[in-house]
Amino acid sequence: MNSAWDRLVKKSRRPYKTVQHVEETEIMSNNKGIHSSLDENIEQIKDSFGNSGDLIIRSFRMGKPFSHKVASIYINGLTDKEILGTFIIERLMKDVNLSENDDPFSPSQLTTYIKEHILSITNVRDVPDWNKLFLSLLSGETIVLVDGWNHGFACAAQGGDLRAISEPTTESSVRGPKDSFTESLISNTAMIRRRIKSPNLWLETMELGKITQTGVGIMYMKGIVNDKLLTEVKERLSKIKVDEVQGSNTIEEWISDNIWTPWPTIFTTERPDVVAGNLLEGRVVIFVNETPTPLILPATWNQFFQTAEDYYLRWSMSSFLRLLRIFSFLITLLGPSLFIAFLSFHPELIPTPFLINLASQRQSVPFPIVIEALLMEFTFEVLREAGIRMPRPVGQAVSIVGALVLGEAAVSAGIVSSAMVIVVAATAIASFTIPHYAMTDAVRLLRFCMMILSSLLGLYGIGLGLIILVAHTCSIRSFGIPYLAPFSPFILADQKDSILRLPLPFLSERPRLINQLKTKRIEDSQTSSPENDNMKNQDSKKDSYEK
Amino acid sequence: MEKAKISAIQLFALMFIFDLGTALIVSYGVTAGKDDWLSILLGMSGGIILFFIYYPVYRKYPDLPLTSYIGEIFGKYIGWIFGFLYCISFLYIAARNVRDFGDLLSSSTLTETPLLVIHTSFVLVICYVLYQGIEVLGRTAEIFLFVLILLGIIGNFFVLVSGDITFQQIRPPLEHGWGPIITTAFPTITTFPFGEMFAFMMLMPYLNKTKLVKKTWLSALICSGLILSWTAFLNMTVLGLDVMERSTFPTLATIGKVSLFDFIERLDAIVVLTLLLTVFFKAAIFLYSAVIGIVDLFKLKNHQQIILPVGIILIFTSMTIASSFSEHLEEGFDASIKFVHIPFFIIIPFLMLVISFIRNYIKKRSNAK
Repeated sequence: MNSAWDRLVKKSRRPYKTVQHVEETEIMSNNKGIHSSLDENIEQIKDSFGNSGDLIIRSFRMGKPFSHKVASIYINGLTDKEILGTFIIERLMKDVNLSENDDPFSPSQLTTYIKEHILSITNVRDVPDWNKLFLSLLSGETIVLVDGWNHGFACAAQGGDLRAISEPTTESSVRGPKDSFTESLISNTAMIRRRIKSPNLWLETMELGKITQTGVGIMYMKGIVNDKLLTEVKERLSKIKVDEVQGSNTIEEWISDNIWTPWPTIFTTERPDVVAGNLLEGRVVIFVNETPTPLILPATWNQFFQTAEDYYLRWSMSSFLRLLRIFSFLITLLGPSLFIAFLSFHPELIPTPFLINLASQRQSVPFPIVIEALLMEFTFEVLREAGIRMPRPVGQAVSIVGALVLGEAAVSAGIVSSAMVIVVAATAIASFTIPHYAMTDAVRLLRFCMMILSSLLGLYGIGLGLIILVAHTCSIRSFGIPYLAPFSPFILADQKDSILRLPLPFLSERPRLINQLKTKRIEDSQTSSPENDNMKNQDSKKDSYEK
Repeated sequence: MEKAKISAIQLFALMFIFDLGTALIVSYGVTAGKDDWLSILLGMSGGIILFFIYYPVYRKYPDLPLTSYIGEIFGKYIGWIFGFLYCISFLYIAARNVRDFGDLLSSSTLTETPLLVIHTSFVLVICYVLYQGIEVLGRTAEIFLFVLILLGIIGNFFVLVSGDITFQQIRPPLEHGWGPIITTAFPTITTFPFGEMFAFMMLMPYLNKTKLVKKTWLSALICSGLILSWTAFLNMTVLGLDVMERSTFPTLATIGKVSLFDFIERLDAIVVLTLLLTVFFKAAIFLYSAVIGIVDLFKLKNHQQIILPVGIILIFTSMTIASSFSEHLEEGFDASIKFVHIPFFIIIPFLMLVISFIRNYIKKRSNAK
């Protein structure tokens, strides 16, 4: 009887055990060796690609006796044609004297010669079988095949059009660096390398997705990161056996501890400085090719209320801003539901003049307060979604319709009260102060649950909802770290950089994640007080001069 | 038994909130007259004495819950019966707590809502949290400890600045001598709320550092005792003996008197929220103790499978425990103290202490021979 229940629970807890089965696709399963005849090889490649228009095969003869048939194969658009032309094709086609003694090179001699003397390109690899050949070809490398030799060369001449590094769009900062990640994995990791010049910054790459073969890089600081965490991350990644990995969200949903939760349990960012900071705290970062938002894990609830800007402002201001964000989080979560609870269940708790004011506003409103609130919140969500999806030139129309028609007109028509419009607007504005989009989304949904609870049971319902929410949040973990980490379990040392941010000299320890290797980040010799003795002396000298 | 562990801070939070549960809101020490704050302090010292009755027995079996070692002390069969009676008494007190809360809510803020709806929703939430286990309960308590402290600071601040406090109300001290103070403190206040902490004997094996039991228990006891005494003191100075004797929820009445600038008034929400949180944890701990006791006695696999059935029993017990609120209160001060609190939290633990000492003595002598 109970085992059925247990099974149900287990099923819901470990979603990634049920691995999606994928039929072996023909392209990638071809593990046979490459033929030695060039014509056969070209035929095979053309066949496999269905003669695709962007597959370019350039075959020619090389060397003085013009006896060696060679072909260079690449995908149009993934290759830097200038490099390809100058350093591969031109070098190969140049009149190289390959037969000084009128004795043509054997294929193996020729290939060594090509590799060592001709291909003046930064990275050349042997590809022994079709699998590797196709993968390199599809990753933008140029394949060079030589007649009579059953290997190929993969030459690094990737190129094509990529988006340039631009300013971050969702996490802007006033004083901080203005670069943000792009879609290219390598240029993203390079941005981190520029920030952390340490050989201990390790990057492991792999391909995920049976068809998409998306490049994934795991980056961490060796010596700080906990090895258990690292093995756990790798194990979970290796369990992903799906056809497609489209962006980091696919990975996030497969590897996160608990997907039946409103909270985001993996942190994402588009700022390289945030990634660098998190790496130095002992977290693991997963870069995914073609995604400008790498995953940072483990994540704690607290993290979603911190921004990079907090570390570029004075500590007093950033502490204030953090408190402000938590406060507006509470407004977003509870604002409309408190309004409902007070007005429909506990009007006696509202000061009388205020109550009369509110009641007179609602005189002509035909709906019960709950319906009114849900209607307005729903309308706001619709407007928000419309604003995002609309083509930009039309976007203005949405704001006009939203502000004038739905706000002003609805009030004067007596459909909603203006107090309700104020509550909804305040909630909306407050929700924009939460710095991370994933967290805003979570609160947007939870707000509706709270509204329903409060419409059923008033303040008591809100209290129950909060207890459930806190208990649920306490029960989840992100890669072994309790999600509410510095608050519960309570860690005194981490309070310095959680709701408040104390001055940097006080932050001598990294936040406690499970068994990090190095917790101290400020050397003991560095005094924790920023006042420097030399400076003091200078001051006193100055004083004496003035005297 | 669950494998989960709780830290000393979490245990402190649980114990602290547990002691404040219902006691912070309901009236319980009025028989001592104007000096109820003093009798609460005396009751607290009684609680400390009780701890030293429980503690030596616990030290002998630090890894076992009460229901396991009670069999070793009283013998297998008598011990089993006692253990089962303990489970029932925990469940009964949990039902009393739920009823306290439901009655406060239906008489103060949710007048239209049926009692059954309040009880059902409350118990179901408790079941949800307990289903997640003791670790989650402890962590949740840790978070709400801060919320409670915040609510306490706000509530106290408003009461203090409202100017409703008249010290004349508590004078003269010891109006009727020490007699009523002592009879109120022993046994009433000693057993409720302090003696009820015996329920934690079921949870002790989950503490990650057994050495910290004494420190945690005593500090939670003293902190909560001081706060209860302070609250009783405030209530008395604001309301006066006459109102105190008649009101069932004096703290609610005290907060209700606050009125500042004609705007900050009727801060009942603070009291209701405090009661919700404290009673929630108190009822949850009693229910959990009962549930893991049953799991232990009947050798079940885990506690999760019986949470819901026991929770439903709790709902119906709390509904049928009394036909009206006044009956419920009368039972609480009379029958409950006499037949549940005193035997289960004073007499049986004392017997356990004596018997385990005698057993130890016999064992030592036989070893010596």
